[in-house]
Amino acid sequence: MTRVWRAIPGTVAVVILVAASVVVVAPFLWMFSTSVRPSLEAYDLPPRWIPTSVTLDNYDAALNHAVPLVTQFFNSLFIAVTITVSQMITSALAGYAFAKLRFPGRNVIFIVLLTTLMIPIQVTIIPLFIGMSQVGLVNTPWSLILPGLTHALGIFLMRQFFISLPGELIESAKIDGAGPFTTFRKIALPLARPALAALGVIVFLASWNNYFAPLVFLRSVETATLPLGLVLLLGPYKSGNPAVVMAGTALAVIPALIVFLIAQRWIVESLSRSGIRG
Amino acid sequence: MANAADARSPNGSSWPSRGARLLAWLRSDRVYEALNGYLFITPVVLGFLVFFLGPTIAAIGLSFTDYEPLSEVSFIGVDNYVRMLSDVRLHTVYVNSFVYMVAAVVLMNGIALGLAYFLNKRLPRVLRYVLRSAYFFPSMVALVYVAIIWQFLLTKDGGVVNYYLSLVGLGPIDWLGSGIGAVTSVIIVDVWRNTGLALIIFLAALQDVPDEVTEAARIDGASEWRTFRTIVIPLISPAIFLNATLTIIGSLQIFESILILTRGGPGDSSRSVVFYVYEKGFQSFEMGYASAISITLFGVIIVLTLLMFRARRRWVHEG
Repeated sequence: MTRVWRAIPGTVAVVILVAASVVVVAPFLWMFSTSVRPSLEAYDLPPRWIPTSVTLDNYDAALNHAVPLVTQFFNSLFIAVTITVSQMITSALAGYAFAKLRFPGRNVIFIVLLTTLMIPIQVTIIPLFIGMSQVGLVNTPWSLILPGLTHALGIFLMRQFFISLPGELIESAKIDGAGPFTTFRKIALPLARPALAALGVIVFLASWNNYFAPLVFLRSVETATLPLGLVLLLGPYKSGNPAVVMAGTALAVIPALIVFLIAQRWIVESLSRSGIRG
Repeated sequence: MANAADARSPNGSSWPSRGARLLAWLRSDRVYEALNGYLFITPVVLGFLVFFLGPTIAAIGLSFTDYEPLSEVSFIGVDNYVRMLSDVRLHTVYVNSFVYMVAAVVLMNGIALGLAYFLNKRLPRVLRYVLRSAYFFPSMVALVYVAIIWQFLLTKDGGVVNYYLSLVGLGPIDWLGSGIGAVTSVIIVDVWRNTGLALIIFLAALQDVPDEVTEAARIDGASEWRTFRTIVIPLISPAIFLNATLTIIGSLQIFESILILTRGGPGDSSRSVVFYVYEKGFQSFEMGYASAISITLFGVIIVLTLLMFRARRRWVHEG
């Protein structure tokens, strides 16, 4: 009898957990289901979670829409990849310096850089917009890439990782006559691969998902990124065909899903490492 | 160290000692390391100066002007800040943003902590992994996409949410068209999307709580709730403060979901500060005024973050 009583809290926990996961997954399920059903069935009630008739017409319509989603997909990709590569390099270098090299002002500079995490984008965006218009970069991907080349979050995450490397490793390389850069490249960087991968994924998704800055800087459908395109597909009065909009949204979510499935472990590790030991 | 310089300075020549000494100093391990340090951080410092510090100072400068594109600029002192005092709409959007913030901090962290606690119980590994992945995934998807999906689900007539509510005799609720409904919708989407991120941080913290400690409390006869409240919570307090701080900063910047779901309406009832800044700056092009508002938001974020750090120093258990 006591065993039964013991089991109840556990069962309740599982029921709550599963119920919560249904709430989380259902909107995505509805998106996929709606995107593969004939568009006339989009508003069917009760909602058809499992489609009875499957069609790819909505995907066809989304890809051949007046809003050039394919072009915008590649715009997003170009911006995200450039920013990711740049931040991986600059963050690794700086994170290593802040963790393992000694120089005057090291901690002060690090803290000053970190304070930028508190600056909302709405503060810097107006001067950035004015500056970008003056040099003629508005409506080009560079208006997004240049401000994204470095970021404090990446510096912080890489520093957290390099701090965890044992000092003897660095010292022994130094005794072998290696300079700081050689030590960094030959010893520290290869060990940092998982941390770098996590950073890469976080930066990529942040850029891939970014909406506010592209909304300000990109002013035509050909230069727009995918999130802007999806909003255009939805239409200013939300008059877009729901099935087609859901097909477009599904196409935009799939890259995030793939990246997530591959990289979830690294992201979780990286978040856990930086999270608890503050 | 001198040996490095010895090896490099031309031996036996009449090389002036000053140059040699400078070279030796530059070549000494300590200085060489420092120079490399500065070199390593040069890119991020440049990025900081050009794209963060510069624009922030410029924004402060702009906030004292009546800057509008294509028109004469003049310095107007603190007029923008005085104007804010009597801008009733600004007061409304600030209240809305605080509502979003409090709701996010309480609901998101409460739900995340609860789920993380259950998830940390003895569960089959696969089940735990699948559940964790499910919770975490929405925070990887752009808020725009999430909001686009939800605005269909929340449609008043024929929406999925209202359909299920009608089955239990509720509604129909005008989610996107009524004041309370609009605010609630924005909160639902925010909590739905970001709870998983907080959960991951809580879960990591809970896994660090040693089993012996909670086990000992149980043997002493403490109930599960009491153990959780008096032992687990203090042990994971750093994670609680981290999540609370992240949630505060994040929720003050909600933008896309408001744009997609409600456009700030009806009236101003769901408009946030950042949405207002965007409209002032890039739709009515009052960039001076918009800058001034954004500076106040920055100030609010700084104050709240500092308060969180002070509270943390006072209450957090440091292992």
